[in-house]
Amino acid sequence: MRSKENLLVELSRCVVDMEDEEVTSVAEEYVAAGYPVLDGIVEGLVAGMKKVSQQYEEEEYFIPELLICSDALYNGLAVLRPHLPQDSIEEKHKIVLGVVEGDTHDIGKNLVRIMLEASGYEVHDLGRDVPLHSFVNKAREVQAEIIAMSTLMSTTMSGMKRVVEILEEEGMREQVKVIVGGAPISPAYAEKIGADGYSPNAVEAVKLVDQIIRTRNDA
Amino acid sequence: MHKERLLAAAHKKVIDRPPCICPGGMMNMMFKEIMDLSGFYWPDAHSHAEKMAGLVHALNRAGGFENYGVPFCMTVEAEAMGAKVNMGSLLVEPHITESLLDSVDDLSRLEGLDISQGRVGIVLEAIARLKQLDDGVPIVGNITGPVSVAGSLLDMSVLLKEFRKKPDASFAFLDLVAKNLISYGKALLAAGADVICLSEPSGTGEILGPRYFRDYTVKYSNKILDALQAPLTIVHICGNLHSVYDVLPELHCNVFSFDSLVPFSEIKAVLPNTAIMGNISTHTLGTGSTEKVINQVKSCRQKGMDIIAPACGLPTTTPLINVQAMVQASKDEIF
Repeated sequence: MRSKENLLVELSRCVVDMEDEEVTSVAEEYVAAGYPVLDGIVEGLVAGMKKVSQQYEEEEYFIPELLICSDALYNGLAVLRPHLPQDSIEEKHKIVLGVVEGDTHDIGKNLVRIMLEASGYEVHDLGRDVPLHSFVNKAREVQAEIIAMSTLMSTTMSGMKRVVEILEEEGMREQVKVIVGGAPISPAYAEKIGADGYSPNAVEAVKLVDQIIRTRNDA
Repeated sequence: MHKERLLAAAHKKVIDRPPCICPGGMMNMMFKEIMDLSGFYWPDAHSHAEKMAGLVHALNRAGGFENYGVPFCMTVEAEAMGAKVNMGSLLVEPHITESLLDSVDDLSRLEGLDISQGRVGIVLEAIARLKQLDDGVPIVGNITGPVSVAGSLLDMSVLLKEFRKKPDASFAFLDLVAKNLISYGKALLAAGADVICLSEPSGTGEILGPRYFRDYTVKYSNKILDALQAPLTIVHICGNLHSVYDVLPELHCNVFSFDSLVPFSEIKAVLPNTAIMGNISTHTLGTGSTEKVINQVKSCRQKGMDIIAPACGLPTTTPLINVQAMVQASKDEIF
């Protein structure tokens, strides 16, 4: 039987090296050996995904690689998660995510979901072409702290402004922070529509969310 | 004449001043004020040649861009190959709602592009109508880039993964897409387009990285551009480009257009022999002051921009006065 440390390294390597099939058998071996499942997730799979983020920031990896790495991450999680002890499941910070109405480009949004989930957030992904009211309704329903929106098209970006307005109309603007991203979006535009933050990519989005949650907890 | 000036600028000949254009297609040129002015509205105008041509004509005559360009979206090609499209609204452009394919392994549902059918036929008729005006305004026929079209037919995330995992089937898929885009492009030219503009919002350096950008975007864009032999070709690549600076010179185009976040000086250094087009911020055009627009145009001209153009598609809420100011600032003496 391989040692826990050895299997943690293997889990991480599978994610980094895009071994989206091999990861399943390694995760199964880890569970069968009776090692702590939470460690397998955090120190194995998620640690691997953090290395992937680094490779992406250093431009060793681009989106195709990132997508296959995340498949490996999710395939590993699918094996490990059902074995998590009930008491180790913490209440997570919740984020509502989607591509605004009129746009169906969702790669950037999918990457944001992957990176946020790998960082321990509970993401409610509404998908693409999302009606503007749905963002607010979902945030109310799950008591989300953040709404994150993206669009790739300059003709649909004004929808983001409308979501901020709807939050105000519904008296929820104090509780819910709004962050935006996507090709035509700039920090200046984010500020102009009254959003709380802008991120140019998925890795930065995690840093932005971390910062918002930290500020909120300090307050 | 606008057409002569554009051709001269594209071939880096000496000209009195840079032309000011907006190609259309992904680089949307249309906005609500022009719809009100002409009485032709989205989404109707996407499916009616007379309205489509009427809108671009109205924009040009209102002191707008020094070109015509159709269509107003990037869905015509994918729709003609079988994808489902939502036609959008007055302010939102058409978009693909459902992927046609599940994998590059199964292309059986992919349809050959028939130039006489559907909105392809509408676009061709709109070009023919504009050609009849014979007024020296260059007509741009827009083609959505091969990777973007492939990503409209098959979910982009799946496509990107299969680029890596199933290269042979991916190449076969892109071959078919390119073949269809070549027949579309040839029809655009035959109908009277003076310029072909190929835009890649998805097949970018930022998304693909240098290896796949070369293997897919550049390879298939060149295949299309080589087959068309258009009098003037523009290629627009969205997003940050620094990871593919080495690859950009391999593109077979007369004019290169890029995002507002990319520095002109860097592109100029990478593409010394290509005409450079851009890169007025569409955010400024859409919501900024007229003065800011004029300053950006001046700055582009001082740097030596060959063709003045928006850096991306215009928001449909763009004020006409900003577009007029952009065009006027391209004409005014600045030195």
